[in-house]
Amino acid sequence: MEIIVLVKQVPDVALNIKVKEGEIVEEGLSYVISSWDETALEAALQITEDVGGEVTLLTVGPDKAAESLRKGLAMGAHKAIHVKYDQAGETDSYAFAKILQKALEGRNYDLILTGRQSQDTDSGLTAPMLAEFLGLPQVTNIIRFSDVSEKNITLYRKGDHGTEVVDMVMPGLVTVNDSLNEPRLASMRGIMMAKKKPLEEIDLDSIGITSEMSGIQGSMTQVLQFEKPESRKEGQIFEGDEADTVTQAVDLMVGEAKFLT
Amino acid sequence: MTKILIVAEVKNGEIKKNTLELISFAKSEGFESDTVLLGTGVSVLADTLAGQGAGTVYLGDDKSLEIYNTEQYTALVSDAIHQSGATQIWLTSSEFGRDLTPRIAARQSTGALSDVTRLEFNGDEITAYRPCMATKAVQKCKFSKDSLRVISIRSGIFPADNSAPSSANTVSLSIPSGHSQIEVREVQVEESNEVELNEASIIVSAGRGVGGTEGCEFVRPLATELGAAFGASRAVCDAGWLPHKHQVGQTGTMVNPDFYFAMGISGAIQHLAGMSGSKVIVAVNKDPEAPIFKVADYGIVGDLFKAIPVLREEVGKRKE
Ligand SMILES: Cc1cc2nc3c(=O)[nH]c(=O)nc-3n(C[C@H](O)[C@H](O)[C@H](O)COP(=O)(O)OP(=O)(O)OC[C@H]3O[C@@H](n4cnc5c(N)ncnc54)[C@H](O)[C@@H]3O)c2cc1C
Ligand SMILES: Nc1ncnc2c1ncn2[C@@H]1O[C@H](COP(=O)(O)O)[C@@H](O)[C@H]1O
Repeated sequence: MEIIVLVKQVPDVALNIKVKEGEIVEEGLSYVISSWDETALEAALQITEDVGGEVTLLTVGPDKAAESLRKGLAMGAHKAIHVKYDQAGETDSYAFAKILQKALEGRNYDLILTGRQSQDTDSGLTAPMLAEFLGLPQVTNIIRFSDVSEKNITLYRKGDHGTEVVDMVMPGLVTVNDSLNEPRLASMRGIMMAKKKPLEEIDLDSIGITSEMSGIQGSMTQVLQFEKPESRKEGQIFEGDEADTVTQAVDLMVGEAKFLT
Repeated sequence: MTKILIVAEVKNGEIKKNTLELISFAKSEGFESDTVLLGTGVSVLADTLAGQGAGTVYLGDDKSLEIYNTEQYTALVSDAIHQSGATQIWLTSSEFGRDLTPRIAARQSTGALSDVTRLEFNGDEITAYRPCMATKAVQKCKFSKDSLRVISIRSGIFPADNSAPSSANTVSLSIPSGHSQIEVREVQVEESNEVELNEASIIVSAGRGVGGTEGCEFVRPLATELGAAFGASRAVCDAGWLPHKHQVGQTGTMVNPDFYFAMGISGAIQHLAGMSGSKVIVAVNKDPEAPIFKVADYGIVGDLFKAIPVLREEVGKRKE
C-alpha cells in the first residue's frame, strides 16, 4: 500500500496568538505539523504496519517546513516530498490544491490521507478540492476505519446525523477527525533514522506551476486582514459553598441576563 | 444581478433550521434566491422553502439520494447551478456542507470561503469574516476573481423567520446513475428526541469532570428541565460516556446558544473554539485556574455534584 500524507506546517495555536495591525504577530510563534495531519500520519503508519507498504509525506511550504517533514519521518514515515514555496501567506486552499495536484500527478499511490482542516486556516477546503482535481473519491472526517485491503477500505465518517459507514475503492482521499487516534511521539531512534530517510525537494517550475497559478494570482480568495476575535467581558467568579454561590449566580443571571425569563 | 442558490438540508422529513436561516438572510439582503433540495421523499418540502422566500426549487427526489454521498450531490448541485444562473452558492458549515462545499467549488473551477460567521455585501463585492486559528483570530476575506462565489456559513448566525408554506415552482433534476468508487452502507443513527446542539438556545455540557456515564446521567436532568441540548467535551465522547454527536468544539458542533453551561470542562482551546460565541457562559469547575473561567460570565468554583442539585432546585423554583 502506497500512502501519501499531506502535512502542513502551521503555528502552534495552543500558544498565545497575537493580532496587530491586521497581521498575526510572527514573534513568539512556534511551528508544528497541523495536529489533524499528525492524526492522519498516525493512521497511515498503522495501516502500513498492518498490511505493508510505504508512507510518503508531502508538503508545500518554505524551507522551514522541512523541520515538519523530518518530524514526520521521525514518527515513522518512509520518505518525504517538499515542494519549495515562499508565498504561503497569500495562497488560498484552491491554489494549494492545484499545486498539490501537480506535485502528485504521475506518482503512484493508493490512498491520500490528511487532516479535516488545517490548524491555521480552519478552512477544510484543500483536501476535497484536491480530490476533485485528481478525480478521486473522498471521505471526510473519519473517526474509525476497518477492513483495509489493497483495493478497499471501510471508513466510519462522523456525519451530522450519526456515523456513516462507507466502503471506498482505492485510490481515494480521506480526511481524519482527531478522535481517530492519539498520534505517537517520535522515539530517539526514530529521530536518528529520520536524518537518513529520503527527502525530495521540488521547485514549482518542475511541476508546471507558473506564477499565474501560485500566490495571490493563483488564489480565488484573499485574506484582507486579520482581526482580533470579539473579546468577552470580564466574568464574575464565585467561590465558597455551592449552596450559596449557585443561588447567588442564578439570582444575577436572572437579573442581568434574563435567564428563565 | 446577484442570485443565490442555497443548498437545503433535511432531517427527519423537515427542512433544517440552518437552511431557513440562509433563505431568510438572503431575503433580508434583498437577494433573489433559489434552492436545491435533495433526498428521498423530499418533494413535499418544496413548499416550505417557497414559503420561506426561495424562488425556484431544484429538486432531486430519489431513493439513491437517501444517504448523502459526495459524488451524486456534487453532480446535482452543479446541474442546479447551471440551470439557475446563480452567482453565489450558499451552504451551511455542517459536516454535510464541509464535505460538499470544496468539492462543488473545485468542480466549478472556483474558490470557496468556509465556516463564515459574518457577511457584508457591496454590489458584487463580498466581505466575509471567518474565525481561524482555533478562534484566536478572525480572517477578513474577499473573493479576488470574477467567478462564482461558494460560501459555507455557520448556523445560528442569522435569525430564521417562520413563514407558512406556499406553492413552489419546482424543477426536477435528472438523477445521475450510480457512483462506483464509494458505497455508503448505512448510517448508524443514534435515535433520540433530544434538542439538537446547533438549534438549541440553551446547552448544558458535561466534561471529564463528571467522571463517567453515571456522571453524565447526573447532569442530563438539568438539560431536560431547561429544555436544553445536552453537549459534551471530546474527552467524554472519546471515553464512550456519550455518543460523538454530543461533542461540542472545533471538531464537534460549533455552537452559539443564549446560555452555555460547562460542567466539569477545563476549557481547552478546541472546546472554547466551538462555544465561546455563546451569549452567556456559566461554568462549574473545582479548579479555580481552569481556563474555562477566562470566558465564563458566571464562574462557580466548586464541585459539580454539589452545584447541580442546587441549580436544579433554583431552576425549579423559578419556573413555577
Ligand atoms: C485537533 C484537536 C481537536 C480537538 N477538538 C475538540 C473538540 O471539538 N471538543 C472538545 O471538547 N475537545 C477537543 N479536543 C480535546 C481538547 O484538547 C481537550 O482534551 C478536551 O476538551 C478536554 O475535555 P474536558 O475539559 O472534559 O477534560 P479535562 O481537560 O480533563 O477537564 C476536566 C475538568 O473537570 C474538572 N473537574 C473534575 N472533577 C470535577 C468536579 N467534581 N466538579 C467540577 N469540576 C471537576 C477539572 O478541574 C478539569 O478542569 C481536541 C483536541 C485536538 C488535539
Ligand atoms: N501547503 C500545504 N502543504 C501540504 N498540505 C496542505 C497544504 N495546505 C493544506 N494542506 C492539506 O489540506 C488540509 C486542509 O487545509 P485547509 O484547507 O487549509 O484547512 C491540511 O490539513 C493539509 O493536510
